[in-house]
Amino acid sequence: MLQCVFLLSDSGEVMVEKQMTAHRVDRAICGWFWEYVLAHAAGDPSKVVVSPTHYLFQVYRHGVTFLACTQVEMPPLMAIEILDEMMDNGFPLTTEPNILKEMIAQPNIVSKMLNVVTGKSSAIGNKLPDATASFVHWRTTVVKDASNEAYVSIVEELDACVNREGVLVKCEACGDIVVNSSLPGVPELTLSFANPTIINDVRFHPCVRFRPWESSQILSFVPPDGQFKLMSYRVKKLKTTPIYVKPQLSSDLGNCRVNVMVGIRNDPGKPIDSITVQFQLPPLIASADLTANHGTVDILADQTCLWTIGHIPKDKAPSLSGNLRLEEGLAHLHVFPTFQVKFRIMGVALSGLQIDRLEVKNTPSAPYKGFRAQTQAGRYEVRS
Amino acid sequence: MFGLQASSAAASWVVGRMGTDAHLYDDPEDASIPALLDSRFDADRIDALKRLLALIAQGVDVAHLFPQVVKNVAAQSLEVKKLVYLYLLHYAEKRQNEALLSINIFQKDLSDINPLVRAWALRTMAGIRLHVVAPLVLVAVKKCARDPSAYVRKCAAYALCKLFDLLPEESTTLEEIVDVLFSDNSPGVVGAAAVAFKSVCPNCLALISKHFRRLCETLPDIEEWYQITLIEILLRYVIARHGLVKDSVMFASNLSLVAQGGVTVDTMSYTQPTSVGGISGTRPNIMLLRHYIEEHPGCFDREDDKFSSPSVTTSTNDDVAILLKCTSPLLWSQNSGVVLAAASVHWIMAPVEEVKRIVGPILFTLRSSPDAAYVVLGDILVFAKTAPLLFAPYDEDFFICSSDPYQTRALKLEILTTIASESSIPAIFEEFEDYIKDPNRRFVADTVAAIALCAQKLPSISSTCLEGLLSLVFYESSITNSVHLDGEDIVLVQAILSIKAIVKIDAASHEKVIIRLVRRLDKIKQPAARSLIIWIFGEYSSVGNLIPKIIPPVLKYLAWSFAAEVLETKLQILNASAKVIIHSAEEHLEEFKRIMAYITDLAACDLNYDVRDRARFISNLLPCGKTSLNENDSTCQSHSQDIRKELADHIFGGKIPTTSHSDSNYRIYLPGSLSQVVLHAAPGYAPLPKPQSMELIYHTIKLTRDTANSSESNNSNAESESSYESGSVYDSESEGGGLSDKDATGSSQYPNDDGHNLHHRQDNQEAPLVHMYDDNVDQGQTGRNVEDNLSSLISTDLTELMSKSALESWLDEAPALPAVQESMQKSIARVSFTNRSFERKPKLHTLLDPSNTSGLSVIYAFSAEISPISRLLVCIDLFVENNTTDQLTDIIIKSEEASISKDEMDQTSEGSASIPTLAPVEEIRSLAPQQTVKMILQVHFHHHLLPLKLSVLCNGKRHPAKLHPDIAYFVRPLPMDLNAFLCKENQLRGVFEYARRCTFKDHLQKHGCTEESTDHTDKNLLVAQSLASKVLSNANVHLVSMDMPVTFSIDDASGLCWRFSSEILSTSNPCLITILAEGHTSGPLDLTVKVNSEDTVFGLNLLNRVVTIIE
Repeated sequence: MLQCVFLLSDSGEVMVEKQMTAHRVDRAICGWFWEYVLAHAAGDPSKVVVSPTHYLFQVYRHGVTFLACTQVEMPPLMAIEILDEMMDNGFPLTTEPNILKEMIAQPNIVSKMLNVVTGKSSAIGNKLPDATASFVHWRTTVVKDASNEAYVSIVEELDACVNREGVLVKCEACGDIVVNSSLPGVPELTLSFANPTIINDVRFHPCVRFRPWESSQILSFVPPDGQFKLMSYRVKKLKTTPIYVKPQLSSDLGNCRVNVMVGIRNDPGKPIDSITVQFQLPPLIASADLTANHGTVDILADQTCLWTIGHIPKDKAPSLSGNLRLEEGLAHLHVFPTFQVKFRIMGVALSGLQIDRLEVKNTPSAPYKGFRAQTQAGRYEVRS
Repeated sequence: MFGLQASSAAASWVVGRMGTDAHLYDDPEDASIPALLDSRFDADRIDALKRLLALIAQGVDVAHLFPQVVKNVAAQSLEVKKLVYLYLLHYAEKRQNEALLSINIFQKDLSDINPLVRAWALRTMAGIRLHVVAPLVLVAVKKCARDPSAYVRKCAAYALCKLFDLLPEESTTLEEIVDVLFSDNSPGVVGAAAVAFKSVCPNCLALISKHFRRLCETLPDIEEWYQITLIEILLRYVIARHGLVKDSVMFASNLSLVAQGGVTVDTMSYTQPTSVGGISGTRPNIMLLRHYIEEHPGCFDREDDKFSSPSVTTSTNDDVAILLKCTSPLLWSQNSGVVLAAASVHWIMAPVEEVKRIVGPILFTLRSSPDAAYVVLGDILVFAKTAPLLFAPYDEDFFICSSDPYQTRALKLEILTTIASESSIPAIFEEFEDYIKDPNRRFVADTVAAIALCAQKLPSISSTCLEGLLSLVFYESSITNSVHLDGEDIVLVQAILSIKAIVKIDAASHEKVIIRLVRRLDKIKQPAARSLIIWIFGEYSSVGNLIPKIIPPVLKYLAWSFAAEVLETKLQILNASAKVIIHSAEEHLEEFKRIMAYITDLAACDLNYDVRDRARFISNLLPCGKTSLNENDSTCQSHSQDIRKELADHIFGGKIPTTSHSDSNYRIYLPGSLSQVVLHAAPGYAPLPKPQSMELIYHTIKLTRDTANSSESNNSNAESESSYESGSVYDSESEGGGLSDKDATGSSQYPNDDGHNLHHRQDNQEAPLVHMYDDNVDQGQTGRNVEDNLSSLISTDLTELMSKSALESWLDEAPALPAVQESMQKSIARVSFTNRSFERKPKLHTLLDPSNTSGLSVIYAFSAEISPISRLLVCIDLFVENNTTDQLTDIIIKSEEASISKDEMDQTSEGSASIPTLAPVEEIRSLAPQQTVKMILQVHFHHHLLPLKLSVLCNGKRHPAKLHPDIAYFVRPLPMDLNAFLCKENQLRGVFEYARRCTFKDHLQKHGCTEESTDHTDKNLLVAQSLASKVLSNANVHLVSMDMPVTFSIDDASGLCWRFSSEILSTSNPCLITILAEGHTSGPLDLTVKVNSEDTVFGLNLLNRVVTIIE
């Protein structure tokens, strides 16, 4: 069990300290941790750090380091996954967002105004949420103001890796099925796919019943209210990527010529936008002079070159070219950067997964159903 | 314009924060909190409480407001209540008396209509941890466990965990409540009950038996965090009840079964380079088994056959089948912790052919978050090492992304090396080629090491590997010569090390590689790289047909460059030339000997003594040049030459024993455990219970139950009743076992008294904090681990070559094995204990025996307290007991010497310094029958070790008595940290250092009683703890540190080291005690006790005393 959780700012300052058990953890541990990070791990510490007194689990999100301390054996994944969740005595207590929302009212504009005007503030609910006792603990029992709608969207990320020979080593799509339901009562939803067999791996929200999926690959569930991730899946061994990125680096006599070409390889039928190509400049570069015939090129503070392309124009193929001046004494480039590619396509799931239909039962009237799809680049890497 | 923008931004910021509590955190003290707390309005009080909580979160101590805050606990507003509860929980332990004031309110709240209020009251009441309240909390928990609201019942389960810390003696009652909660209808409560079970009675697996089926069925419905805990409990239960599964991975005799489809027999032989096929395949599995299952001393020798013939198969045993069936959907959980927990059940229990279903889900969790991926990869590594073919088709998943942090990359590389097979190696190899261009050079060096390991595993690719490595060496050497780059050296050195490792397998067929490498010698300037190449040249100088031809020029070149080389290269040149001479053919011998003589002459004049020594050694061993003079010598001379020849052959010509890349290099813990991540048994880590260990107990229980409850009807009530009985039977049995060895005083339970797991748990929480340290600490935990595994083969050779220690580099054929051991011993776990973690059990001595003194008994014990009068005085606790039936009056204790020399002492206070003096003691006016009074005697011993004569006056009679001083209490603890200790120790070397050897046997008895227990602790830890507590209870010293070796063999205690510090009372000179252990925990330990003190006589006496304490 966790004994203590600290929230550290990005300068190592303790923002919040929460002791969980009687065995108090001195906050000096944070100082130790920070020094350790700076001194030994070059700012990239291991996820589980062994300090002289405690085992520390650390998770870094949005500039905040969550640091959890324990002295005894516990499943590390539990610690890592729970860090920003609710706990009691070092054990997870209530983690279902729906219940938490009801117990601790989120500040919204109305309540804020109310507070300012009346001078009264109450963020803590006075009643125990009914869902705590319910079997479907993820759903509040009384859904008010339901607009009787259900939206299903497929959000896919394309992970791809192109090696130095230009061969597509790995290409897979990791998708989430995000459902935004606003349905009254206790609705029964059934979602089926046209081609479920292409899916390799799955992960479900607790509301999904396992049996129907096992027997006939149908998702049957009682949804939580609001937006949630119903399922994550992975489709492996895709054949192509929608765009190609061809970097060429050749170095000679202390100069390195860079040329990167980007173009559409396999038109998905929908516009590809927000294309960016990013790479870390190799070390020992004296100066860099990079220009593009389309889009903008920025060299960021951390020696990263960001080429923002946006749309690919019809008339020309965008290309980035330029020269890197190597440091004195170095004739050839000995390390080569990896290019990270980002793009976004609305309206298409590149894995080819298609939703067959969504059935809603147990609602007073037929709800409005909406479907969407979107693909964006995840870890799309091109080595040079 | 800009000003406008800025102000509008600020405005939106203000709007965003308006109505929130953010301002409270910015400046919590800008209002008078006490005044607000006393306000009549809830809003003000809430404001004040929020400010207080903000201060607490920022680490400010606001305990002084405790009374004012506690007053508010009676408030009607739920929000005030909640905030007060939060405050209370934080400070209750510090302000116990005031906290008691709130108890009545809690009790009232417990019967509130609102379940939320009941739950809060229970949570807070259990959370304040006051021993006085604990019985009340127990009553409350009992009541709440049957509350109509599931949320309250859930909180009751959590309260059990908290209560268990406070009331370990009530564990039976707590178990009963756990049982009630397990039979609850709500999945949430069942889940919380699992958590409670794990804290309260993790070993009472018998409790599970009647719930087992239902628990399995509810498993998918409960919350994911509880799933992790419950899965573990169920797994333990099934193993303890039914044992292991016959056709699981643990017993798979041939791992090729694991791979499905497309795997032919010959791939099998690649995964087992030791080539004994089927038999060697079982070896890692037996190891796995040993690591997972609890160690019982000697049980593997005795019960080997029992382990190899488990009686269960999945098809025949329902419980196993149900567990597997209910956990398999959890492999689709969105929580990676649940996936891993479910996967480990299948890994351990599922038949081999079904294990493959865990692979996909586990690999999918790698995508969830980088943090989780790191943990999962560590477990995959163990899986892959045991069953490489299981993961072989998924090599793509382990390809490295540029966004992976170094630790993840290192783990992925090692997995790739492990799973590489004939079919996947080309793809993996292409990846490796790409990685070599990566900007992170440390990672590149790891990749190069991985290439060598792959080549060793799959000999068919070794020539390709060598080509690649050679070109890498040439390329790197050209770069490093032109510019000095950070980290380039390690790549070059690692590349040569990898070549060396590959060449070693079959040197003759790779002789061209060696020649090309040697020809490159003048281009490579790196000293480490040069010495490696020279070593390779010397080692293989006689191999093949081509190499002997290049020897003369190379040797000349080496002789030419000798003077300009650095130390390690010089040594290698000497070694290499010696080897050349030993192996060379006749026709060149004379020429070589001349070169050799030239080199040794140069070396004899070297500045470095290592080089001079080496030169002298070699020229004596291989008399070159000079021997020709003595050729006509006697047979005796030639005999000694024969010896020399043989010696030289042994030293230089000895073949390197093939280093088996032993699996013993890594420790294995249960998948998904913290211990597996940090690679040592974290405190509280418990391996799986002994298979079928429950069966026996189960039967006996059944018997007792049958006899006891024969008249009872078999309704459910009786059922549960009797099962409690069974639970307690089980428990008391183990307890009895634990206690039987205890002495009658039974004063304190020990952490290693595992049978009594209650205490065990408590100790765990405060006690062993393990710290691993290593020479390359800065590489981080995994860095070390991975590198150890990955390149142990290679890097140990490196240590061998590069070692500064003369002998080692001298005997450069030193088999890698000792080197491995050395590297293993380098990593030591340091356990920091506070002195408090050990219960001190001062030894009681008798001052007056009641038989001699008509019923007055006086017992004394030296106390660790520091006298309030003077630092020079030693405190002694006296326990005066009246064993008569009459009142004893006027008990006075006086020193005889003092009373005699009282007058003198007053006159010449200095002169009397040598006589022990007694601080005046109050007399006891009267002592009722059977009454015991504790007195504190304060004596200034002046370092006298002779008994102090006392007279005890009682009822007017004088009883003479002798108080034997204990030198171990003539010191007081001197708290210092390890660095200060080592520093001080260095100052007190030579004459100030005394050492003695002794043996330690106490832990053997301890083992005797832990043998039957089902809890697990590292044995070294047990030994370390028992010795430390023994010393601490008999001497007034401070425990600075306890070092434990991290070796593979769990039994091996060599390297255990304790350090105690103290200072002498009179002189305040520091006195340091170091105890070093050798030997095995299964037998008596050889200890070396060392005392460093400026006061040598005192130090020697103390040393003798410590030795007697230990023995």
